[in-house]
Amino acid sequence: MDRVKVKLLFFAKSREIVGKKEADFEFASCTTSVSILEKLIEEYPELSVIAENVVLSLNEEYLELDNQELTLQAGDELAIIPPISGG
Amino acid sequence: MSGECNTAAELDTVGPAAEGGQDHVDVVEDKLSVEAITAQATSPTSGAVALFVGTTRNNFDGKSVLRLEYEAYMPMAKKKMLETCELVRSKWEVENIVMIHRIGVVPVQEASIVIAVSSPHRKEALEAVHFAIDHVKATVPVWKKEIYGDESSSWKQNQECKWSGAHPPAS
Repeated sequence: MDRVKVKLLFFAKSREIVGKKEADFEFASCTTSVSILEKLIEEYPELSVIAENVVLSLNEEYLELDNQELTLQAGDELAIIPPISGG
Repeated sequence: MSGECNTAAELDTVGPAAEGGQDHVDVVEDKLSVEAITAQATSPTSGAVALFVGTTRNNFDGKSVLRLEYEAYMPMAKKKMLETCELVRSKWEVENIVMIHRIGVVPVQEASIVIAVSSPHRKEALEAVHFAIDHVKATVPVWKKEIYGDESSSWKQNQECKWSGAHPPAS
């Protein structure tokens, strides 16, 4: 299966938990948002404390967490988005 | 937590609506000038500018808040703010929309966000600004951390954020 390198971004609590703002990560290019989150938690087990309360974004658009197939491209930007509190 | 004030200033001039106003959104580290933002939203054909100013409160749950720190997913935050403007325009006849969020350290009592909407009539401007702040709180990736007097801290969650309790998300 094709694998692609994407850029991960961490914000707020997820940034503090992981201890960095960004990282490169390889995923299967054909995947789902649920699977992406599972892989992230395997890589960063400490994120599991907030796993129930995050969403992901792909290239600046929110991703619904579901099992629908999606295709990642090399260089995509994937962010872990804890509950927002702007305003 | 944000305190808030919501005012509508009715200006003298009531004219025909301009052909398409402007959307101006930004995320900045500087102190916000309510006056400058209001001026930017005002137009000769507006009869009203409605303003929302979100300010930082000095207490939460009985604890004193020393300061607040905001961070943003910058490009996405601006994108979601522009989407909010677009939605506002699909619902109300408004002229200019100016929406500025401050990030970094925001001292207590200062504005963290200012939204100004001008429109020929006040009803549209007031409803639009109310909708805009609610939508921003639900969709714009900005985070606020409260730092308390005892140096403990807490990441806040907007009630409007659909994934603060459980999945799923976000439209």
